[in-house]
Parts: sequence; structure tokens; C-alpha cells
Amino acid sequence: MAEMYPSIPQCAALATALKVLLMPAYHSTDFEVHRNWLAITNSLPLKEWYYENTSEWTLDYPPFFAYFEWTLSQMASFIDPAMLQVKNLGYDSNATVYFQRSTVIVTELVLAYALHLFIKSTPPSNKKQAHAAALSILLSPGLLIIDHIHFQYNGFLYGILILSIVLARKRSGLLASGLIFAGLLCLKHIYLYLAPAYFVFLLRAYCLGPRSVFDIKIFNCIKLGVGIGVIAGLAFGPFVYLGQMPQVLSRLFPFSRGLCHAYWAPNVWAMYSFTDRVLIYVAPYLKLPVNPGAIQSVTRGLVGDTAFAVLPDITPRMTFTLTLAAQIPALLKLFLQPDWQTFVSTLTLCGYASFLFGWHVHEKAILLVIIPFSLLALKDRRYLGAFRPLAVAGHVSLFPLLFTAMEFPIKVVYTILWLIVMLLAFDRLTPASEKPRVFLLDRFSLLYIAVAIPLIAYCSLVHQVVFGARYEFLPLMFISSYSALGVVGSWVGFLVVFYT
Amino acid sequence: MPSTPSSHKPRKKRRADISSNSSNGTVAIDVQSKQEKPAFPLVAFFWPARTATSQWVILSCIFMVVGLFRWCTAIWPYSGYRKPPMHGDFEAQRHWLEITVGLPMTHWYFHDLQWWGLDYPPLTAYHSWILGKVGSLINPDWFALYLSRALDDADLKVFMRATVMVSEYLVYVPAVVICGRHMARLHNINPWELSIALTAILMQPATMLIDHGHFQYNTVMLGFVLASMSNMLAGRPLWSCVCFVAALGFKQMALFYAPAVAAYLAGSCLFPRIRLFRLICIAATTLASFALLYLPLLLGTLYDNRRNVPLPTDIQLPPLLSALPFDLAESAWYYPYVLQLAQSIHRIFPFSRGLFEDKVANIWCAIHSSGVHKLHNYSSSLLSRAALGLTLLSILPPCTIIFFKPKKVLTPLALAVTAWGFFLCSYQVHEKNVLLPLLPMTMLLASEGGMKPSTRAWVGYANILACWTLFPLLVRDGLRIPYFVLSLVFAYLLGLPPVSFELYTASATPDGAGLHWFAKILHLGTYLACIAWHVVEAFFLPPTNKPDLFVVANVCVGAAGFGVCYLWCLWRLLSESGILQDLGLVKKEKLDDDRKRQ
Repeated sequence: MAEMYPSIPQCAALATALKVLLMPAYHSTDFEVHRNWLAITNSLPLKEWYYENTSEWTLDYPPFFAYFEWTLSQMASFIDPAMLQVKNLGYDSNATVYFQRSTVIVTELVLAYALHLFIKSTPPSNKKQAHAAALSILLSPGLLIIDHIHFQYNGFLYGILILSIVLARKRSGLLASGLIFAGLLCLKHIYLYLAPAYFVFLLRAYCLGPRSVFDIKIFNCIKLGVGIGVIAGLAFGPFVYLGQMPQVLSRLFPFSRGLCHAYWAPNVWAMYSFTDRVLIYVAPYLKLPVNPGAIQSVTRGLVGDTAFAVLPDITPRMTFTLTLAAQIPALLKLFLQPDWQTFVSTLTLCGYASFLFGWHVHEKAILLVIIPFSLLALKDRRYLGAFRPLAVAGHVSLFPLLFTAMEFPIKVVYTILWLIVMLLAFDRLTPASEKPRVFLLDRFSLLYIAVAIPLIAYCSLVHQVVFGARYEFLPLMFISSYSALGVVGSWVGFLVVFYT
Repeated sequence: MPSTPSSHKPRKKRRADISSNSSNGTVAIDVQSKQEKPAFPLVAFFWPARTATSQWVILSCIFMVVGLFRWCTAIWPYSGYRKPPMHGDFEAQRHWLEITVGLPMTHWYFHDLQWWGLDYPPLTAYHSWILGKVGSLINPDWFALYLSRALDDADLKVFMRATVMVSEYLVYVPAVVICGRHMARLHNINPWELSIALTAILMQPATMLIDHGHFQYNTVMLGFVLASMSNMLAGRPLWSCVCFVAALGFKQMALFYAPAVAAYLAGSCLFPRIRLFRLICIAATTLASFALLYLPLLLGTLYDNRRNVPLPTDIQLPPLLSALPFDLAESAWYYPYVLQLAQSIHRIFPFSRGLFEDKVANIWCAIHSSGVHKLHNYSSSLLSRAALGLTLLSILPPCTIIFFKPKKVLTPLALAVTAWGFFLCSYQVHEKNVLLPLLPMTMLLASEGGMKPSTRAWVGYANILACWTLFPLLVRDGLRIPYFVLSLVFAYLLGLPPVSFELYTASATPDGAGLHWFAKILHLGTYLACIAWHVVEAFFLPPTNKPDLFVVANVCVGAAGFGVCYLWCLWRLLSESGILQDLGLVKKEKLDDDRKRQ
């Protein structure tokens, strides 16, 4: 098998260079969040970790992530001890910035390694496609924007997720895959959204025999159960022992937050809010009752309770039910057909369901859909057709995360570059489908992609020139409604591919 | 990404098309598997594009990638950031925007010299004026006269960085592409390999660090020079004159190239046959271009005279004017125009400054500061005469060759040798001027065999070494990390030390494209010295009685290395010109080879 170029290490090297250059770029409050966690885990005893609240950015990730921060903080003390003081709010000396940025870059090696394994585990006939998919994830503008500018550790975490997905490819790797996923859940609990797929897959493929549902593999069940138990024990054991579980859980699941996050993730609720917003003007003609108190809060879309003026309010229970309802058909299919492809498809659909219907979804959670989907996008042209609008919408929806003038060209140019190179490469490499395609979808996606350019231009330049600081919610709303359309469209497309 | 398209799409070109005439050293054969592989990492990134891919797509992707690296460098601090009292080049450029927008045109060249007075030719002034007008539309405070001095607003930084970027993409980048295309046509290089060469040229670390890190507009001048060269390659000598005057009119440093340009243009009128009309046209175009260059300034003077705008009261008569053997009547109608001309020339060529500025890796600074011979015992007029003499001596060989053999293929080499000569021997040199000889030398990547080890190693060597001599300057600007990143990226992409030693370990290739053992030793020694220097610089302080020790070491190694680059370029020029064959020093068969090549 000939080598494929550019290889993963070559791309990683060039991307790393760019990421190092980005070190002094804008970083969001998440930078301070993580610095604060370094300080908390380093300077306080374990029993105070989940109680400490000097900073407003309290520790709200599961314990493995706290241990991870503790490990980093051991190195940080050699770089600049001042960053490890809890009272040093907003501290960002050059050394601190360089240190934290380099931890993101270095831990992302996990992702590169996982992608390398992914290519290795692919059968030779599909290696080229796998290689392209792997590069698209490694060079993802989503990761660049969120991790290397905005500041988070997604590259590391998604690396672990992909590692787990790759291991699930072989029967012998199922146990390790499940355990690694359990570990991932103890690092960041957002992956709970994907847990149903893991649960069903491991249950069917690992705990039950291949021929019959009643052929229960007791020994496998014990191995998996004990393994997960040990991991959960390592993570939460100390806090159970200290009797702090209610406090930990209240930190991990803050249901007091609103339906929509500060910047309206492009999901069903963004479309719902947009409709509500439009209805405010239309309601008087339709003789609908308007809740006057809600008008302000919808326009601002800030964290907190979102009230709707015309449409009925949404409760967390409703979102939860909808999410589950959207997941169940896929899970049933996975149960009946527990192969790796279906598993990854189901993971993608779980990601879709939780992103589209979840409570207080961050726009960053779109990676939960894009990354598993990337592994499938080159399977055949029908998958690619559904992937295209997602690739555009998902990344455009991340643009409002960065609002500084200096970073504007970086996010736009990098995303356009990635879209051109990757979509061209995907287009060349994806084989034709055995089943007929729905051509309407192709037209839709082309039109959709074309609209992105004037939209970005309007939101970043024209709006400011025309309106100045007025109606500042308008660009955000346009972007999220536009992206929501793309995400929902690609979801529908994917559903068609998955069930037919 | 893998390269073969899937079966459902027809390919336009077979893969073999490109590989079979890949004369340029981009594709290597793997010893074990006998399969083709990229010769160095940069080629790997273009591997998927070997099959039919639109050149426009490739080109726009190249622009975006090099643009990203440039803009990410621009995030870092600039020269003089929060460094009172004088700040740095950023303030100089910003100040020029301020005075061109705020003062009447007749005051531009008379305004306060001490605070970064305008000392560049008129095209820079016009450029500043346009940028200043645009900037004042966005925020009038940025360039408010007198009030905006030493401003370092974050948005102002973005604006100024963007102006460098836009100027570069309007002048330099198209010039590189067009010039590259002409070279490719001349040397019969396929578009795929040309794209690789163009990326390498656009990724030159020194240019990126100086323009987008330190802050200057060198690429505009370099772009005009390339445009001039590409017109020579295209056989349009008159346009070549216009572009070269534009380069001179933007930054007088383009004079480094002037003798070679003049020699080529003059030579092309005399050899192989005398074409007098062409010579007259060239002379007339050059004069007309200069007139055009000064026209806006003179029109501005006319306008100010009409409005009766007085000159600043504290002006001194430019020495050029007072040195005239006859007196000019102040009341004469032409007096204000002559005054403006004389003053701008006085500002542009400050003969009163020293032999070299700061520490620069040229001969004079190396001799002086290494303690071989202290030069401050001599009078400045003697030194400047010595510098002039040595410079003339150093540029005489390349100019003679290009004059008698005005071949298109020789132009990049002739420009490079002349610029090296100026950089090493002349008067009033900045460390940043190393960009001038580097550019034509790097353009060799787009020539025949340009990416074979023999040429790639030398081009890479000059670039890495040049970047290294800029290090002391860059550290002062707070650009240590971008320096390491960009020079290592360049070294990585082109497979150069300190990232890869493949060029130096491989045995000589059968087609003679390998590196001579002497060059290997020379290069490795220099690289080793640079690495050792960085280690020492990072972990030790210089002795207290010799605070400049490290910088001096840097300068001496740099000057020696650049001297070698000068000699290499001169040797290439000599051997490719065919003069050796004419003189009977080389056998005849090679001559026929060369004939064919033309």
C-alpha cells in the first residue's frame, strides 16, 4: 500500500506551527475558567474543589478533568506560580498564556494518534477515504476556533472519543472501547448525549451473543460492569466518600440555565425563538395573545430564563423527551443491526438529537455531530450530500464565538480554505451510491452553501455600516437561524440515508 | 489527501503526465518500494493536486495558506510597541500617514525630521496618503495631526497590519505569481511544480517577519522589482523600466538592483545586434516614469503656491541646492519646484549618516565589530569612498556578464549577485536589506532544476541564515516565537536543517544534482554555528565588558555566509552565461547543451 500524502504527521506539524503563532490571539473567558481550575486543583485539598467559588467560573466538569487539571498544574508551578493562586482572578501573564496554549496543543496529540489508528484500522479499499476524513478532523476549523483561539480542550477529548470509536471496530476492542468511553464521560459529561448509542451497542454486540438476544454473555457483562464500576469509582469515589455527591451533581447539571445559550446554538429552539420573534409583529393581525414581559428577553437571548412572547414556553422535561424520542428509532435500528457503521451512524444521530432538541445547548456542541459524521461522510455520495450543509452550517455557526477584528480574517479564511480543500477532496474520493439519491437535496445544499457568503459579509461588515450598534442581535439571529436550517436540513438528509 | 479520483469522474490528465516531465526535483523514487514519493514535505501537501485540479483553486488555496501565516504573525507585537521615547518602524509608518493626510504637500518633505521625518521617495508618500485617507474615514483619531503621535490603539494595529496585507496582495503576490509563470515558461516547468515553488517563495520567513511582524512595506517595493523582472522575461523592456522606477520610487533601497537592471537593459539593446531605437525608447520611458513619479508632488506644489501656503518657517536650504555653482532666484517661477525636488532627494539620500546602522551582517560591520580592524579611526569620507570602491568592484563582474550576455534566464542571478554585492560592501545598510538579495535568489526555485538538492540547499541556506541574522532585531520587537515558528516551518517544508538533514546525507545523484562535498561542509558548519549560537544565547549572558558579543558573533558568521552566497550566485551566473565556453575554458558539448536550453 502506497503511502498517502500529506500524511497525518505532516499536517499536524504545519497545523501546530499555525497554532503556536495563534498563542497571543484573543482568548475567551474559558481561558480564565481553566486557569482558575488549575489554581483550585493545585492549591486546595480535594474536598474543597467542588465548593470553591471565589471566581464565578466554578469547577463544573467531572472529576477526571479536575485530575487532569491537577496534573497540568504540577507543571504550571515551574512556569509561573502566580497563575496557581485562586485569588489571582483574570491573571494572564505571557508565561501563563503560552503554558495553557501549549497544553492544548500538546494534548491534541491524542487526536492525531486516534486518527492514525482510524486509518490503520480501515480496510485497504477504503484507506484513501479514511485518510481524507482523518485529515478533515485533524484540521477542523471547529477545533481551531474553539480550542486554539477561544480556548478549550476539545481536541484532546474528541481524540479520546475517536480512540474509543476506533477500538469498537474489532470485537476484541469492544471492552476497551466501552471503558475508554466511560473514562471520557468522567472527563466531560457532555458526551452523555452519545451514551445511549454506546449502551445499546455494547449491550447487543458485547453482552449478548451474536445469534440470539437471549444468549447472554455473563463473563463479558461482569468484565464491562466491573470495569465501568472501577472507573466511576476512581472518578466519583472520593466525593462519595466525602458525602459531596449532591454538590458535585448540582455543579455538573445546572438546570437553572436557560433554554438557549448566549449565542443561540443553531438548533430547533433557535428556529422556535426566531418564529416567536417574527410572531410578535404578526400576532396583532392574527389576534394572538402576546406576553409583553418576554419581548426584551428574547431579543437579547442572554443566559437565563428565555420567555416566549407568543409561542408556548419550553420546559427542560419537554426538551429531554424530544431528545430521547429522536434517538430511539436509531437505537432500535442499532440494536437489530449492531455493526460498526450503524454504530457510528447512531452516534451521529444521538449527537444530532441532543444538539437539535437539548436544553441550553452550546454552539460548540456541533462538534458532537460533525466529528462522528466525518468518519462516515465519504462512505458514499448520499452521505456526502447530507454532510455538506452540516460542514458549512456547523462552522459558520461558530463564527460569533470570535468577535474581535484581528481574529475575523483567521476564522473566515481558515474555514473557507478548509471547506474548499475538504469538500473538493471528498467530492473526488466518495464513491457513487448503490441506492438512488434524492436530487432535490443536492440542489438545496448548493443553494444553501451559496447563501453563506453574502450572509457572512452582511453579518460582519454591512450590518455594522448600516445600523452601527443598533439591532446587534440581528446578525446573531440570522447566523443561528441560517445555521439551524442547515443543521436540520442535513439531519433530515442523514435520516433519509440511514433509514432507507 | 490521497490523490486518485474515484472511478465515476473522468480525469483530464493522467498522473503520468506530470511526473514524467517533473524535471525540477520535486518527485523522488522510494528505494525499497520503487514508488514515487515527495522529495520534501512541501511537495507532499501538493500530492493530491497532481491529478487534474484547477490552477485557480490551487492558487487561491496557496494565497489563503500564506495569508493565514502572515496574519497570525501580525497578531504579535510590532517594532517599538510601547517603547518610548522613539517607538519604532510602526510609528514611523503611522506618522507618515498622519503627516501626508494632515499637512499640505509642500510640507511633507520639510516636516520635523527628528520625529520620523519622511525620508522615502514620493510613491511611499502617496501610498501613505491613500492609506491615511482610508484610515481617517474609519477613525479620525488614528491620524490626527500632532495628537496621534505614538498611538498604539489595538484597532489601529489591526488597521495598519491590514494595510500591509492589502498592499502585499495587490503588488507582491501577483508579481510573484506572474514572474513565476514567466520563469516556468522559460524553463519548461509544469504548473504543478510551479505552484510548489510559488508557495516556497511566498513562505520566505525573513520577508514575513519583517513586513508582518516588525512592520514595514518592503513587499511593495519587492513586488515592483519582480514585476520589472517579469517584464524582462516577457520581453517588454519598457514596462520593465516603468516597474523598476516604481520600485525605486517606493523605496530607494531598490538601487541595490539598479546596476544589474541597467546593464541588462543596455545589453539587450547592443547584443546580439545593436538596436539604437530600443535604447532611446528605454531611456525616454525611464525619464518619463520619473517625471510621472514626481508629477503629483509638483502639482501639489503648484496647488499650494496658488493657495499661498507658506513653507514652514524653520526650513534649511537643502545642501543640494546650496551646492549649486550658481544662485537660483527665489522669486523665479520654477524655484518652489526645484526646492521640493532638492529637498526630497536630500531626505531620501542622507549622506551624512554612518557607514552601517546598528549591527548588520556586512563586511564593514564584521571587520569593525569583530575587532579585526576598528574603522572609526578613519574619516567618514574615506570610508564612504572605500565602500563605494568595494561595492563597484563587487558588482562589476555580474554587471559585465549580464551586459555582454543579456539572456533572460540570467536575470534572477544577476539581480541576486548585484544585491548581495551591495548588501555586503555598500554604505548605509540595514540588516533588513538582506531581503533584497534573498528574493531573486529564492526565485531560482522556479527555474530549471530549482528544487533539486543543489539549488534548494543553497536557497534554503541563504534564507535560514538571513532569518538568523535578523534574530537580534526580532527579539527586540518581541518576535522570538514567530521567528522560530516561521523559520522552522520554512526549513521543514523545504527539507532543510535543522529539521531535516536529508539533503546532506544523501549521496550525490547520478544527474549531478547533488551537493558538492565542500558545500555540504560549509552549510553544515554554518547551521551548526547557528544552532550553537542559539543555545549559548538562550542560556548564557554575554560578559559584562562585551555586551554585544553575541550580536557580533551573529554578524560575523552572517557576513561570511552571505559572502559565500554571493560567490555561489556569481559562479552560477558565470557558468550559465556561457562565457566560460566562449573563452574555451569548458568543453564544447556543454555549450551545445546550453544552446538547446535557450
